[in-house]
Amino acid sequence: MSIVKMKKMHLLGLKVEQDMILDAIYKMGTVEIVDITTQGQDNEVHQDRFHQKLEKELSELDSKLNRLKFAIDFLKPYVTEKNPLLYGKPKIKRQELDDLLSREEQYLRVVEVITELDQRLSRLKAEESKLHSRIEMLSPWKSLDIPLEEMGPTRETDFIPVVIPIKAFEGFRNGLDEKNVLFELVKIGESRDENLCLLVYYRAQKSEVQDVMKEFSVSIQEFPGLSGTPEEIIAGDERRLAEIERERQSIAGEARALSDQRFAFEVLYDYWSMVREKKRNMLKMTETSRTFCMTAWIPETMEQTLRQKIGKLTDSLYIEFSLPEEDDEIPVLLENPRLVQPFELITELYSLPDPKGIDPNIYMAPFYFIFFGMMVSDAGYGLVLALLTGLALWKLKLAGQGKKLVQLLFLGGVSTFMWGAIFGGWFGDLIKIKPIWINPLENPMAILVLSFAFGVIQIYTGLLLSAYKNIRAGRPADAFMDQGLWIVFLSGLIMLAFPQFGAVAKYVALAGALGLLLTQGRTQKNPLMKFLSGLLSLYGVTGYLSDVLSYSRLLALGLATGVIAVVINTMARLVGVNAIGFIIMVIIMIGGHIFNIAINTLGAYVHSSRLQYIEFFSKFYESGGRPFQPMRIKTNYVEFEEV
Amino acid sequence: MELTLGQVMALFGAALAVLLPGIGSAKGVGIVGESAAGVVTEDPGKFGQTLILQALPGTQGIYGLLTGFVIMQRIGILGGNLLPLSLYQGLLILAAALPIAFVGLLSAIAQGRAAAAGVGIIAKRPEELAKGITYAAMVETYAVLALLASILMLFGIKL
Repeated sequence: MSIVKMKKMHLLGLKVEQDMILDAIYKMGTVEIVDITTQGQDNEVHQDRFHQKLEKELSELDSKLNRLKFAIDFLKPYVTEKNPLLYGKPKIKRQELDDLLSREEQYLRVVEVITELDQRLSRLKAEESKLHSRIEMLSPWKSLDIPLEEMGPTRETDFIPVVIPIKAFEGFRNGLDEKNVLFELVKIGESRDENLCLLVYYRAQKSEVQDVMKEFSVSIQEFPGLSGTPEEIIAGDERRLAEIERERQSIAGEARALSDQRFAFEVLYDYWSMVREKKRNMLKMTETSRTFCMTAWIPETMEQTLRQKIGKLTDSLYIEFSLPEEDDEIPVLLENPRLVQPFELITELYSLPDPKGIDPNIYMAPFYFIFFGMMVSDAGYGLVLALLTGLALWKLKLAGQGKKLVQLLFLGGVSTFMWGAIFGGWFGDLIKIKPIWINPLENPMAILVLSFAFGVIQIYTGLLLSAYKNIRAGRPADAFMDQGLWIVFLSGLIMLAFPQFGAVAKYVALAGALGLLLTQGRTQKNPLMKFLSGLLSLYGVTGYLSDVLSYSRLLALGLATGVIAVVINTMARLVGVNAIGFIIMVIIMIGGHIFNIAINTLGAYVHSSRLQYIEFFSKFYESGGRPFQPMRIKTNYVEFEEV
Repeated sequence: MELTLGQVMALFGAALAVLLPGIGSAKGVGIVGESAAGVVTEDPGKFGQTLILQALPGTQGIYGLLTGFVIMQRIGILGGNLLPLSLYQGLLILAAALPIAFVGLLSAIAQGRAAAAGVGIIAKRPEELAKGITYAAMVETYAVLALLASILMLFGIKL
């Protein structure tokens, strides 16, 4: 219905009871603790001492959580677990958790083992890639049958492996001939654009050989630290690769044997994340040696519940609730009827309302509902969409924004079904049912007028909300001049379009225009400027005009869906002439309509949102709220029944 | 049956309506795909989000096909009974195809650019996807208006 009113809670308690009190607050999940350590520097030294201890504990927790997370991820490929989307998170009883915690040492040792397995795996991987690149380097040299360590000088000659660019091969040979070098050049193999050769020459002529090599950019291939013929080395490497693969299999076997521990890791991870969350919040409090003090936001309605819950625990604390002060940054929590809640998603994706502004959802929801359906406007598509999303809501364990989105699409499907029935679209023209009201293909102008009418209604709603905001802030005169006069003026213009109103329309429009002319320049001092500003403000009418025209997309997108559906049916029927054709026809229809539903649902979502953001919100909405993030139990893998 | 110049003009209109926005959409979707691929190499989990943005400039092509189809249906080429159109009737149909043909072509490319920039939003702040979509949807408005104009004209032409 609105933005929930928040109160500020100040709590002073004994440090020995801090954990207990915090636990109670944690379980309630409706309190957001404010960081007050930065305010007031009175006992800074003192704070530092307490917080240092906390921070140390926190960093230890972080490292433990990291290790657990690593183990969970490592074991992931080796376990098959039930999809939490279908079955929900497994539930853990207090007893089971205590059992696990008492054997924690044991589990952490397993984590160590897993870390070792991972290190072994990465060592194997490094070695493997080294071997691969060596094999790749040696393969072209395979037919060299001299062991590599024997390369180099003999008594009178040098044996060297060389790499010669293919283009320079003949030139190099001729160059050596021209210098009268005594040599032998044996081609061993070739890579992409180089010949790999063995060069033997008389050592006394080394400098000539080097000159020619430089001239034709021939380089010497080094084989550092290798012994044996290339073929032998490659064979050895391949044996080692096979061994590596076997080792990897055995590591996978070990991991599989450990995989039943994963569940314990998950429980521990969730438990320690909860502890971490608590400790992080403790960092936001100030402390003395015996007491602690915290400030927090709490919804007004929860005040009594919290008093009772904490009052039951202990007597030795002081608690006080106060109203937010002027410069407080109040967090925003929205509260709406269940039917409106899915539409909160649209606002959340834009920006939350200012804490002192208006929650737009309840006003926006009916428009969004109508527009979405009108843009898809096919009863068959609506049924499909509503059934699919309904099934998802029933079978899947959804939460948060994902749930809101599916609910939104479900409502959109219902609206689509209704509009489809009104317009007589059932999978395009597949099922011929008479429209309840009108077929948009036959009378698009009627629907266009309807679209504009919806636009006018929504824009008026926006103006009225803006007026309400002015009145609430104690400025009824502003409400009259800035919104009221516009409504008079615009109504007059609209009435001009209907001859029934006759001359009245003209006077209403004129009265509105005159009013605006006289009032819109009221902040200016100079009378001439007053008049000019007033005159200029009338130009705003183009803004309203384009806003209303923008609603023509309601018709356009609705037509698009309908016509594409007809296209699909027509194409499908073209092939449906015999038995095989009939099967193809059915396939085309199913595929085509699924495509059409998907693309038009996306379009309807995007364009309905846009109409809210640009045309509606611009009239009254103040955004910029910070979401209320209470300290509450959030788990990744399991659910604790009682902690 | 004798063919008339009007029929040629009408079919030319249908061809333009499918052709130009189709080119535009192909280009726009391509632009978004290129930047989306960059983001997905970093984080494959963002595939779904980027796909939504990539689909946005694709609608112009659909609008074009839709207009072309309406033309084909109106001149009876789908049923196999091509209406005997006068030259003026043919030119009217051609004129009606022009808004979506040209606005579709150019707006799809512009929308592709806006959506590609939106992919950058996904890379850094995936929770703000809705804002990226809105920027791209702002461009599409003009394609929707052009489609509306084309369709209304087509329904208005007496054959």
